[in-house]
Amino acid sequence: MLMLGWIWGLLFAPQDAVQGNSYRIIFFHVPSVIFAELIYFFMAVCALMHIVWRVKLAAYLIKSAAPIGAMITFIGLFSGSIWGIPTWGTWWQWDARITSTLILFIMYLGVLTLHGSFSNLEKADRLMSILVIIGVVNIPIIKKSVDWWSTLHQPASISVSGSSSIDPSMLYPLLISIIGLGFMLISLGILSSRSYILSREKNKKWVSDYV
Amino acid sequence: MFNSEFKNFNEILDMSGHGIYVWSVYLVGISIIAISFLIAKKRIKTVQRKIKLNNASS
Repeated sequence: MLMLGWIWGLLFAPQDAVQGNSYRIIFFHVPSVIFAELIYFFMAVCALMHIVWRVKLAAYLIKSAAPIGAMITFIGLFSGSIWGIPTWGTWWQWDARITSTLILFIMYLGVLTLHGSFSNLEKADRLMSILVIIGVVNIPIIKKSVDWWSTLHQPASISVSGSSSIDPSMLYPLLISIIGLGFMLISLGILSSRSYILSREKNKKWVSDYV
Repeated sequence: MFNSEFKNFNEILDMSGHGIYVWSVYLVGISIIAISFLIAKKRIKTVQRKIKLNNASS
């Protein structure tokens, strides 16, 4: 599905009138940053479940999702920087959207570093959950940064509630790319959480029976 | 909608001078995702092997 979206977007979608062919980076950049935010939101929900109801699995899911979130945020920042060269004339600008996305990337790394710095894993799970909940305040800031501040980054082209400002010939491959990348990240998340759950529960009988 | 914007392979690579930006993003991005999948699969195998060794020794 992801390949369908990318092939459609890269080869068959029309050229942009202003940005030329460089806009084709959108089919990787936009899905990446959408999931960079969604994965953090998912982690925040898990963190809340872990703190309020002491759900062990929720902490395992945070620890499994954080590297994937860091990876996809890095791809979002990298693709945005490369896209900036032909369109803005610079690969980096300290504007609100880009800076808040960089903070998101640092938050992912912070979550992983914090968890890795404790030998007591239960304590690490708890502190990691608290940090994730504190960091979730950054998500609406990223989303609204282009509306709240004057930024070089363009406002959102697609909208869930309202109409999109992007032509259907570009919108459809973009939507397919978003769905395709979502499935790919879910499968990566399943693989990652499977190995982490097995390693954390390795002394339990059910794991011995399972393996 | 389904007519290709490009006439030949060279035009696809070049993308009116923007090919270097577009293709580098896709190349780096796909490589990172592929490496992540390989690492995740390798981790599962390593963990399973360790658990099997533990089971055999106990």
